[in-house]
Amino acid sequence: MAVGPATIARPAPVAGRATTSRRLLEREGLFSWLMLAPGVLFLLAFVAYPFFYGIFLSLQDRRVATQGIFVGLANFQTLAQDPVFWQVTRNTFIYVVATTVFKLAGGLGMALVMNQTFRGRNIVRASLLLPFIVPTALSTGAWMWILDPTFSVVNWLMVHGGLISSGFSWLGNATLAMWSMIVVNTWRGMPFYGITLLAGLQTISPDLYEAAAIDGATTTQRFLYVTLPVIKPVLIIVTMFSVIFTFGDFQLIYALTHGGPANATHVFSTLAFDIGMSAGQLGMGAAVALAMLPALALLIIALTIYLRRD
Amino acid sequence: MVGGRDFMGRVTRLYIPLLVFIVLGLFPFYWMLITSIKPNRELYSQKIMPLVVHQPTLKHYIDLLYETNFLTWTYNTLLVALVTTTISVVLGTMMAYPLARMRFPGAAVVAFGVAATYLVPQPLLFIPMSDIINRMELGNTLTAVMLTYPTLLIPFSAWLLMGYFKSVPRELEEAARIDGATRFQAMTRIVLPLCTPGLLSAGIFSFTLAQNEFLYALIFLAKSEVRTVPIGVVTELIRGDVFYWGQLMAGALLGSIPVAIIYSFFVDYYVAGLTAGSVKT
Amino acid sequence: MSSRREFLTVTLAATGAAALTPRWAGAQPKSMTVVHESSFIKPFDEFFVKVLSPEYEKQTKIKVNYETVSVGSMLTRLTTIAETKSGPEITGTGLNWPHLFDPSLVDVSDVADEIGKKLGPWHDNIYDAVVVNKKWKALPWGNIGQLEVYRTDWFKQAGVNKFPDNWEDLLAAGRLLKKAGHPFGFELGHGFGDNHGWLYPLLWSYGGREVDKDGKTVLIDSSETAAAVDFCRKFYKETMFEDVLGWTDVNNNKAFFGEQISCTNNASSILEVGIRDFPDIAKVTDHALNPQGPKGRFHVFNAQSHAILTHASDQAAAKNFLRWLYDDKQLSRWLTSANAYYAPFLQKYDNHPMWNAEPRYIPYKECLKTSRLHGWPGPPGHQASESVAKYVVVDMFAKACRGDATKDVIATAATQLKQIYKAK
Repeated sequence: MAVGPATIARPAPVAGRATTSRRLLEREGLFSWLMLAPGVLFLLAFVAYPFFYGIFLSLQDRRVATQGIFVGLANFQTLAQDPVFWQVTRNTFIYVVATTVFKLAGGLGMALVMNQTFRGRNIVRASLLLPFIVPTALSTGAWMWILDPTFSVVNWLMVHGGLISSGFSWLGNATLAMWSMIVVNTWRGMPFYGITLLAGLQTISPDLYEAAAIDGATTTQRFLYVTLPVIKPVLIIVTMFSVIFTFGDFQLIYALTHGGPANATHVFSTLAFDIGMSAGQLGMGAAVALAMLPALALLIIALTIYLRRD
Repeated sequence: MVGGRDFMGRVTRLYIPLLVFIVLGLFPFYWMLITSIKPNRELYSQKIMPLVVHQPTLKHYIDLLYETNFLTWTYNTLLVALVTTTISVVLGTMMAYPLARMRFPGAAVVAFGVAATYLVPQPLLFIPMSDIINRMELGNTLTAVMLTYPTLLIPFSAWLLMGYFKSVPRELEEAARIDGATRFQAMTRIVLPLCTPGLLSAGIFSFTLAQNEFLYALIFLAKSEVRTVPIGVVTELIRGDVFYWGQLMAGALLGSIPVAIIYSFFVDYYVAGLTAGSVKT
Repeated sequence: MSSRREFLTVTLAATGAAALTPRWAGAQPKSMTVVHESSFIKPFDEFFVKVLSPEYEKQTKIKVNYETVSVGSMLTRLTTIAETKSGPEITGTGLNWPHLFDPSLVDVSDVADEIGKKLGPWHDNIYDAVVVNKKWKALPWGNIGQLEVYRTDWFKQAGVNKFPDNWEDLLAAGRLLKKAGHPFGFELGHGFGDNHGWLYPLLWSYGGREVDKDGKTVLIDSSETAAAVDFCRKFYKETMFEDVLGWTDVNNNKAFFGEQISCTNNASSILEVGIRDFPDIAKVTDHALNPQGPKGRFHVFNAQSHAILTHASDQAAAKNFLRWLYDDKQLSRWLTSANAYYAPFLQKYDNHPMWNAEPRYIPYKECLKTSRLHGWPGPPGHQASESVAKYVVVDMFAKACRGDATKDVIATAATQLKQIYKAK
């Protein structure tokens, strides 16, 4: 017998009532629901209720401090005809897809590099996590300076290095502004991918690699057939949550450009905020926020299916 | 696989990428550091080399600590983050365990429901949420955010842990139960310890999210004494269209240090747990 | 390692217990809360907390708390307060918010009339902002003006000794200054104030309008608007640089102090900060009224006011407090503490000594007569706010500057306005 379980073997159960209640608790269904209950109740109260209230809001013409009038899907119809809404949709998709690809690639690279042994590894690992740990509101301030054309150290270096003659307008040019958002988001989120993938990589025993090497597998093949399959589940979870998070990203964009220049970096959350809070159109704001859901829902369904398959 | 001639390989595979990651990752912090000790004159000057400080000053730090409630904010932030992380990891574990390892009626519904809650975007929730908070008379209290943050953290913790829980073979648990352990004991003594990396991962992620949270804190915490660092720094170090850049960067740097310290405790533990837990028979 | 774990467990338990103890005991017998957007001038907020509030408490035993929210968040906070019908009893308001929150605000016409009799009359363009359906819903105490801020030394070097009076002359000056390495920097991005501060006046001064007085017809598609848009494009190309397209309110301040720009549109925050932190630059900084266009000179209007919320448990007490606050003895001192950053709307204060402290603020007083609310001449209600929140006017100009055709940007703006105002 294996070592572990034997060490916690208990004496035979006491006969009598104790056995019955224990057996009850042992029933799979009851045990499961007892464990689930607190969490489920919490989420029902603080997520489900506000969520349905939010849906209710989106079906109303509801301005701040006034009674709402039920208008059915009118808000959504208006949005569908608003070119700004479609631009926001495009922007959000570009933002999410680009950042996810970069974070995935970068994170994997980071994990592969960090998986090797070298001196000072612990310190390096801790410091690489900093972008992710530091509150976005705070690090955004630093990025504002880094992206400012006059004060930007990037521009300064490039100009003084003779590469360009005048600074790029990182936040003023529509295309560059979106790229700037992507860069900042990637900078912030990559460590998360890196560390989680690193954890996954480290569960792979070196023996597996050696066995594969003996069988003649190249580095790439070892990666594809040994590494990838093991880290795939973790990869999927991490990606999924990162995507959801990025879809609703607010702080970064709000602080750096607030959706500008001319809506080039406007995303769902900033639009919902502007319409809901600045214009006081609570119903329409809720509708914009809800518009995020179809795409996200598809993603979740796909991943749930994948995971439940095991 | 290791040999003397592998040095060049090591350089390309390790040292160069490492250097790139470190420079790119840490540069903004270097920037924060030097901005926080640059006097305003230097900060706004276009002519001098921006990467170096010529006449460092601690004035921004002094102003930050003496003229604002920064220390209070730091305390609030850490408190909230610790409490909400605990709540989320505990509740997340309690939800993930049955979903990952048990069969019971309604499992699919609950799993889907939990996933669905994560989809709900914050901008949608905060008005009805503030209604609830105000009716419970929790406005302007840390309890308000302590109750609302787990809504963001529990679903993720649960999902992350489900992955880890699934990876523990059933045989281990069953063997324990044959020996007389209850399900609860099997969970706490067999499965959970093997999933310590997962627990820590969920914990770290929750902690990070909690102390980074902005929107709810902005809405619920209006009084200076109950604010968290992100809100306090952004609302009180920015007056109108003037950013107190030096103090802002000083605050940003100081705001990151306690977190980094706490991290260093767990990252250590995390790896130890990982390598120990990875050896399965 | 176990001691580390123990340490953490104990700390966690202790802090958890401490945190769950009953909440903040704010319910004192008699107290009120005033919520304000944090003033750009710190002494102004401090004066309330350190001088006014204690004085009132001594007189009436009612404690008046002062809550500040960051600039740009006041609307969010007020929305939450109005929606949940709880929180501070007195709120600061700006722009056209009395219209937006009308159902939640108490009628204060009686107090307004009293103040008007003692210190007024009120400047008549505030009626648009605070009088809703013939009832006063808020009591204004000051305007935050947006004016031209410029470097007198650089303008002189370029041969311009007096600030240009109309847009074309400003353009000419800008060309010279840009050539001399001191371009202009006017905000064209998604900020809150420094973009609207010149773009609405630009539109109006060329005769452009968003909608008519009743809000029933969209008027933006006109040759006047086209003239304004064409001018703006020229102005941007010849005097500014690309980054301004993405600027939010903070950038022009930064650029000004970094000596990157020679002229911008801003409130008096630049001079304030300059005097304190950049005295050399402050010495050569001055304000001027917005230039005029073929159809007049305009400024934007941002009347800071106090309103009482209907959920206040003691509305009479709130009114009494405001009566006391707006009494000359208190109001005069409070406004002086802000160094004339706020221009009051009471004509009796037109020659108040506070204007003598810093003569460069006098243009803020002069601009009152030509100040209008966003969305003027249309109705100052929620549609105007929606147009502002969606940056209809700002983006129209910004897109033209980045190269889009004039008729396209105007067409887009017209479509947006038609949808917002549900008009033709």
